[in-house]
Amino acid sequence: MSDEPREPMPPPALPPVTRRSFLFKLGLGLNALAAALVAVPLIGYVISAVVQTRADQAWIPLGSIGDFPERQTRLATYRNPFRVAWDGTTADIPCWVRRVGGERFQVFAINCAHLGCPVRWFPQSGLFMCPCHGGVYYEDGRVASGPPPRGLFEYEYKVSQGSLWVRGGRVPTLSQTV
Amino acid sequence: MSAARETRRSRFRALLAVSVVVLSACDSLPGKPDPADRYVRPDAVMDFETLFAANCTGCHGEGGRQGPAPLLGDPLYLAYAGPRELRRIVSDGVPGTSMPAFLDEKGGTLRAAQIDALVAGMQASWGMAGRFAGRRLPPYRGTRGGDAGLAYARARGRASFQIFCAKCHAAQGGGTPKAGSVFEPSFLALVSDQGLRTAVVAGRPDLGMPAYYAHAVGRPMSDEEIADVVTWMAAHRVEFPGRPFSQAAPFVGKEP
Amino acid sequence: MGSSRLRAAGDWLEQRLGLRPLFEGSAGHLVPSNASSWWYVFGSATLVCLVMQIATGICLALVYVPSADQAWESLQHLDFEQPFGWYLRGLHYWGSNFMVALMTLHMIQVFLFGAYKYPRELTWLCGCLLFLCTLGLAFTGQVLRFDQNAYWGLGIGVSIMGRIPLLGESLTSLVLGGPILAAETLTRFFSLHVFVLPGLVITLVVLHLRMVLHNGINEFPTRGRGVDPETYDAEYAELIERTGEPFFPNAIHKDLLFSAVVIGSILACAAIFGPKLPNGPPDPTLIDTVPRPDFYFLALFSVFALLPPYMETFLIVYVMPVVVLALFAIPFVSRSGAKHPADRPVAVAGVVLVMTTVMTLAVLGLSSDWSPHMDAWKSVAVPVEMVEGRSPLELRGAAVLQAKQCRNCHALDGSGGKRGPDLGDVATRLTEDQLIRQVLQGGGNMPAYGKNLSPPEVAALVAFLRTLSPADAAIAQNSADPLGG
Repeated sequence: MSDEPREPMPPPALPPVTRRSFLFKLGLGLNALAAALVAVPLIGYVISAVVQTRADQAWIPLGSIGDFPERQTRLATYRNPFRVAWDGTTADIPCWVRRVGGERFQVFAINCAHLGCPVRWFPQSGLFMCPCHGGVYYEDGRVASGPPPRGLFEYEYKVSQGSLWVRGGRVPTLSQTV
Repeated sequence: MSAARETRRSRFRALLAVSVVVLSACDSLPGKPDPADRYVRPDAVMDFETLFAANCTGCHGEGGRQGPAPLLGDPLYLAYAGPRELRRIVSDGVPGTSMPAFLDEKGGTLRAAQIDALVAGMQASWGMAGRFAGRRLPPYRGTRGGDAGLAYARARGRASFQIFCAKCHAAQGGGTPKAGSVFEPSFLALVSDQGLRTAVVAGRPDLGMPAYYAHAVGRPMSDEEIADVVTWMAAHRVEFPGRPFSQAAPFVGKEP
Repeated sequence: MGSSRLRAAGDWLEQRLGLRPLFEGSAGHLVPSNASSWWYVFGSATLVCLVMQIATGICLALVYVPSADQAWESLQHLDFEQPFGWYLRGLHYWGSNFMVALMTLHMIQVFLFGAYKYPRELTWLCGCLLFLCTLGLAFTGQVLRFDQNAYWGLGIGVSIMGRIPLLGESLTSLVLGGPILAAETLTRFFSLHVFVLPGLVITLVVLHLRMVLHNGINEFPTRGRGVDPETYDAEYAELIERTGEPFFPNAIHKDLLFSAVVIGSILACAAIFGPKLPNGPPDPTLIDTVPRPDFYFLALFSVFALLPPYMETFLIVYVMPVVVLALFAIPFVSRSGAKHPADRPVAVAGVVLVMTTVMTLAVLGLSSDWSPHMDAWKSVAVPVEMVEGRSPLELRGAAVLQAKQCRNCHALDGSGGKRGPDLGDVATRLTEDQLIRQVLQGGGNMPAYGKNLSPPEVAALVAFLRTLSPADAAIAQNSADPLGG
């Protein structure tokens, strides 16, 4: 709201570099620089979840292998290794443990390979069924019917000193399995 | 002037009264969540009706009656089996039959306390505790003769079968239109000896089969007769049931 | 005497506030008199919903705790302890339903009346962005109800993103705030729902309204008259000149009435139906759950169930963005020409087709017949008439049918799962051999049960199934062996 009477714009010849126009450009440039400097930490903060600065998988004990009867499939749960104090119940992650025999296991993620709903094990029919879109899997995780594009996600596991360990810590999807 | 103020004041009072009524009516609006609808974790459900409807109705029928699996809503059965056996069966299931184990430790979905609630609820709802107080019921567990006695028990069982069962299940067990065969190898493969015994003792009054004491013969089956009939039926088990081509030589040829 | 003093005070204020030009440029702007129509009330009603959502949302945020370990508890408090808490939640829930519905109606009306054509292309574009943002608010709001549905609904969202090639993994982490759904996920969605998206929506609404004022409200279309960008501006100016009247107070009455009805309906729905209560807490170990999305996403939910699996990724990753782009592109493809719906049969047919499809899918999603009925095997009784008069073997077969979870997918006379065919009359359709083959080998989207059924179980099951036929119907026989011997 300047009160100075505005002068008609000069013809588009070379505008003279005045002190005012220089300072205007300098001001624009400095503000652009400042905005960029503000943006760096903001963007870095937001995408820090994507740029992995820490491992997202760790070995987690599921309990003594004696807890898992031979040739049976049982639900096991573990605490997410990368939890924070206010995670609440979301830090408890379930998985299906199938003891094939001896120290041979199959540990399946709870998430259906179709769209991630929790599959349920039915020992009587030897099937995993998904309540969302009807995906069904056999006891070894192969697709039995329905829309899943692949079998159940399987954890990497090891047996160490009588305990079953799995490598977990992230949610399995088609582009990144457990 | 004062009259106008008076009307204004009474109008204000009326408004106040209406808002109090509206506000208190909010409490009884149909959309107000009912505390009974609060979420209950599945492992915290202790109500018998809910537990039974969610876990047992599928096979044992509504109210424990008229399902394909054994009748539960029956005072005789509940008195005969007793809470201990019921708890064991629900917890561990019956291997070889369609009865699964329900206890969480055995791969089921119920906690022991919930199974206790189920058993207690069955006894309380359908048990009629006093009814069999004076009566001596056949023991839950039957005896089976040793190897020497087995052939003898079978022969007696065959005779008892003629008396008590053949009217509906036919002499050779081939079945009549009324009840169908009990010597069918596939049937026998899917029922335990204890299950046969329970069927003979408790019957299926809901489906027209009398209990051990209610046969048209006019007298109850004795403990021995019950055991013998079960032995006779069990004797019809075959090595490879359910395979059409192994049935060429049914047990009938090897009768004692 | 009093009125002249009032006017003097008004003038004094006006001299300092300068509201009159603002009023004349906004609420008092001239609209064609035929634009005062019942068809034109949906946009303003959507805006009213937005205002209500903001008001109720601010109130809810006074109590709600956006923390993964306490969000669910705080909702319980809102529903059962906090005075009016349940009612505010009900208003916010029903407000969102009405907002999505009215926005959809508004969009359909704008499309059918050709209002997106020259010179209102950007108004449409802005509206499309508002549509997306509002759906975003609906989804993020559903997540804030942090219950089992929210947890697994997010899982579904993440699984969809996981299908995007190359970017899938990064997008998943970006949305979840880490590699797994946990505390940071909720706070992300909270800040989206209460800061980012409302801010965007308010900005876009301002832009949207600015363009409505600048270009004028669309005149009521006339049959046979289209838009010619060369002459349209002059025609519209002439129309305003001839029939223009101030929106406030001359043309606003229908908007006012309709908005009041909408607010009343939201109040009534909240009072009668109440809020949507959260189901179980967001504890993934409670696997005894059947996740379902809120109404607006049921259609999408159905699509994922009904598409052939080989098409899914293609459709999600490539076709959906193209559909959204197509929505944006409409005014640039059809910039001029007829406006009246009667002159644009293809546009009308398109709307009917899209809406029928969406509604059909949503209704299908309500019952989700494709999902197994997870507890049917132990909770849905065998109909009594299928138990009575059966032989011992057949009864065992019925027990096998239940115990092997067949019932989760197969109904008996309408009760049970609906994924597979109803078995109530299966004996009229399949012979004994066909039944045995189907049970053992599966096929037609049925798992093979061969490994999990013993021969006597198969025999019992098939014996039972062979009894399932209506009393007067003949049962299926092997044609090579017509006597069934």
